[in-house]
Amino acid sequence: MLPDYEKFFISPEWKSIRVNTLKIDKEDLLQKIDFEVKQIEWYEHGLWAKGEISKTLEYYMGYYHIQEAGSMIPPLFLPLEEDKKSVVIDACAAPGSKTTQMAMMMENKGVIIANDVNIKRIRALVHNVQKAGAMNVVITNQDARRFDLNSQADYVLLDAPCTASGKIAKIESIVKKWNYARIKAMARKQKKLVEGAYKVLKKDGIMVYSTCSIEPEENEEVIDFAVKNFNLEPEKFKIKGLKTRNGIKKWNGKEYEGADKCVRVWPQDNQTEGFFICRLRKY
Amino acid sequence: MQIKKILNRDEIKEIEKIIEKNYGCKLNLKNLFLTGDEKIWIAGENVSTEFFSSVRNCYRIGIYFGKLKRNYKIKLSMEGATIVGKKAKRNVAIVDDKEAREFAEGNCIHKFECIDCEKNNFVIVKRNDDTIGVGILREGYIENLIPKARRMR
Ligand SMILES: C[S@@+](CC[C@H](N)C(=O)[O-])C[C@H]1O[C@@H](n2cnc3c(N)ncnc32)[C@H](O)[C@@H]1O
Repeated sequence: MLPDYEKFFISPEWKSIRVNTLKIDKEDLLQKIDFEVKQIEWYEHGLWAKGEISKTLEYYMGYYHIQEAGSMIPPLFLPLEEDKKSVVIDACAAPGSKTTQMAMMMENKGVIIANDVNIKRIRALVHNVQKAGAMNVVITNQDARRFDLNSQADYVLLDAPCTASGKIAKIESIVKKWNYARIKAMARKQKKLVEGAYKVLKKDGIMVYSTCSIEPEENEEVIDFAVKNFNLEPEKFKIKGLKTRNGIKKWNGKEYEGADKCVRVWPQDNQTEGFFICRLRKY
Repeated sequence: MQIKKILNRDEIKEIEKIIEKNYGCKLNLKNLFLTGDEKIWIAGENVSTEFFSSVRNCYRIGIYFGKLKRNYKIKLSMEGATIVGKKAKRNVAIVDDKEAREFAEGNCIHKFECIDCEKNNFVIVKRNDDTIGVGILREGYIENLIPKARRMR
């Protein structure tokens, strides 16, 4: 452990919110709220917010969702605003920050199958979907390694369970839980999840794989596995105004295929949690 | 999710009539269905409710709109009220900021301005154009119907 890791913690003063455009326009929301906000440079519906944000009428009404800024990135890797009527599978969806974000990108058109294996977390997902007014969402409770959906999707978001080491700058307990065996076990699970997600993706469809972990084993190594075992081709993708870096090509004596097309969002670059995102097309 | 009935156009019209009678507004609802407990649900226009109801471990389709009551009324959910509240012309109670908070926190409220409200009937509580929730107008106050889990905390 770093002896001076406290120095890396991000100030908790500024939180982030996402305007729920299913219920209100950003301009109208700005008229109503009285806490301080700043625009998130790289996402028009994202705002930095300072003050009491969880005890307002606007939050109660579902006009905005409190969402870590980094968590707003993965859905933006899918072209849902241009392809609203598509079928999307959110393979690991609870508690639904990204599900509800995608529902608003699609303006409640098309369908999102929001799945999670954990029934307790599904309850939070149900609550958030209802509060957001996300009518195009169908919630399923399956193990995404063995999907049984009778359908295939144009897009799959695989926001995989992870060791969450990208949150290390905000949540101290992550530092304490960090250990290598956990990382290896998580990586094995993530590879199985990629296989499950691959099977429910249509040919020419896009899968976005993301984690809030910074470990190469949970990220580039999973993409390397996907590229070598399935008909998946990583694609470069950029979000205007967001500072990103390429994936890590070599780690612990291993070389990872596709790493140059992966995206890493480091905590210090945009004041978000650390995130890893890769967009893969099925051929 | 156990669906009892996917509503056809005529049945949806019936629901719209109940809403029109209670709130004085015409809606054009689509893709409604009922579950066994007389709950009404609404899904996006491209969601095939029939198909998804047979998917293994399907937990929810769309969102909860409201509950059909025997007396030709619907107890709207918060989200149902938000849909109806935008157009409602009667059985609406207007409140100020302070009362809106009281109501959102689950309390009964005593200070409000009624637009064509009937006593002992459902009313939609609004602050300007914002829907705060649903209650029942009683003698001098509005009884709060916001479920615990949906209240402002
Ligand atoms: C990083 S969280 C997802 C966060 C969510 N996408 C959001 O934005 O709110 C990972 C989720 O994966 C779920 N999960 C873990 N193993 C799974 C599996 N085998 N199948 C489906 N979901 C799984 C967990 O229950 C957890 O809710």
